[in-house]
Amino acid sequence: MSSQSGKFFRGGSLRLAAFLCVTLFGAHGALAVPSYSRQTGLPCSACHYAPPELNAFGRKFKLEGYTFATKPEISEDKKDHTSALHLLEVLPLSAVFDTSFTSTKTPVPGTQNGSFEFPQAVSLFLAGAWGSHVGSFAQVTYDAQADHFSWDNTDIRAAGTNGKLFGKQLVYGLTMNNNPTVEDLWNSTPAWGFPFVSTNTAPSPTAGAIINGGLAQDVAGLGGYAMWNDHFYLVGTVYRSEHLGAPQPNDGTCCGFNIRGMAPYWRLAYQTTHGNHDFEIGTYGMHVKSTPGAITGPEDAYTDWAGDFQYNLTIPEWKNDVVSVRGTYIRENSSLVASVAAVPPTAGFVGHHLNTVQGEAEYHFGTRVATTIGLFSVTGTADPILYPQAPVTGNLNGSPNSRGYIFSVAWWPQQNIGLTAQYTGYTRFNGGSTNYDQAGRNANGNNSIYLMARFVF
Amino acid sequence: MNAKLWYLVVALFFICPSWLAAENDAASLFKSKCAMCHAEGGSGNTPSGKALKAKDLRSQETQSKSDAEISEVITKGRNKMPAFGQKLKPDQIQELVGYVRRLAKK
Repeated sequence: MSSQSGKFFRGGSLRLAAFLCVTLFGAHGALAVPSYSRQTGLPCSACHYAPPELNAFGRKFKLEGYTFATKPEISEDKKDHTSALHLLEVLPLSAVFDTSFTSTKTPVPGTQNGSFEFPQAVSLFLAGAWGSHVGSFAQVTYDAQADHFSWDNTDIRAAGTNGKLFGKQLVYGLTMNNNPTVEDLWNSTPAWGFPFVSTNTAPSPTAGAIINGGLAQDVAGLGGYAMWNDHFYLVGTVYRSEHLGAPQPNDGTCCGFNIRGMAPYWRLAYQTTHGNHDFEIGTYGMHVKSTPGAITGPEDAYTDWAGDFQYNLTIPEWKNDVVSVRGTYIRENSSLVASVAAVPPTAGFVGHHLNTVQGEAEYHFGTRVATTIGLFSVTGTADPILYPQAPVTGNLNGSPNSRGYIFSVAWWPQQNIGLTAQYTGYTRFNGGSTNYDQAGRNANGNNSIYLMARFVF
Repeated sequence: MNAKLWYLVVALFFICPSWLAAENDAASLFKSKCAMCHAEGGSGNTPSGKALKAKDLRSQETQSKSDAEISEVITKGRNKMPAFGQKLKPDQIQELVGYVRRLAKK
């Protein structure tokens, strides 16, 4: 959620903080957006198994640039020297209010356990059709701890739907976005992956791959995408650093990641639907060269290769309940030349790797209740300088290894009101099970219970 | 490599907009408003159509309905199909009714 985190850390340390804030345990801004519902005349359940999980119709809606509409518009057709206009009569605005309570098994030393945030976050959306082929998901979010609004996930698309390739339908378009994988159609990739909501007060593991939220809202990207024959989805995007709140042109001094040149992102996925079975398998990744705190000099390089899958089974005999299984594996290889050369160094040596595995199984009782169990694991190269020792947030012997589980129950009494109870447990945290921070804290001390109410309107 | 990527970005930025203009004949209307679920041929055999249980427009069930009944479904919606009465003009809806009829003959 917060891109600001990246500005206060350098080199490898950035990914610790960014991961902490954004991914595995950062609050996602993802959800069903009512302005889409107002635009299409369809309920949230038309696009979502449970927000933000997209079903086939939701994926198609996003693929086609958020433009499908059944409501009145102001329009003029294209003529000889006149451009066309297709403008929704109602500005597509939406709002979300999140309030939450978090308690950890062991209080963070010196702090009061049981954090009640009212709100945890408030988001405003400009989400809907801007024209017949252009639409947006654009979000700004107020963060209670930062006490200000900041730009959040954004995906602006221009889509063409009349293409043909080898006699089959080709949907194609452009995406401008600020978070690698935010343009994705499935919930097995980081930006829209599980957990769909999460605490921003409990300690969380510090190591994470750069594609797993490390660049969220800290980059600007332009890319092209295509879906052929409703089966093959291909995306290519290039990103540049775009540091919110920092002066432009970028001099690099503010921030831990300064992309040198451009960072390419790729995505290839195959999806198929047979009867009540809906399946996707794919790969994604990116390559980033960055200089911490500067725009010249030595470079750190990161290459992330990832695979993912998603399977949904609709069970007509059980009132169309849906079983979902998702997973992703990310392999990151990094060459931290700049971090090693920094004064003082922020990495002990050049070559590192990080393996991230996440998976979850979910049962949807209609659109009212979704229960999920998720497992996660991060393992990688130990480096006491990159992953230093410190109370609560530090690592044991420089190890980035963490693993644990998440139980989640989300109840939607109405499609725009969500109540979630979520338990996160750790069997290993920042390299250890017991006394991982060398200050007496155990991994399970960071186990947390999180209660959240979301109001969407 | 980076220079090539710059060229790509500039090209993407300027190449796009030939598709930005909408068309309004029946076939285009059907493609933009209906094919998302019902498929271009009307079969309903799309992932979206399966998700929303879209009807096969070529089927006896659909084709046995009168023009007025089909027009009413398009105008007011039914089950998970949204209403298009506020979006489309009456003559556009009639064009779509005619197009649905032609699907059965293809």
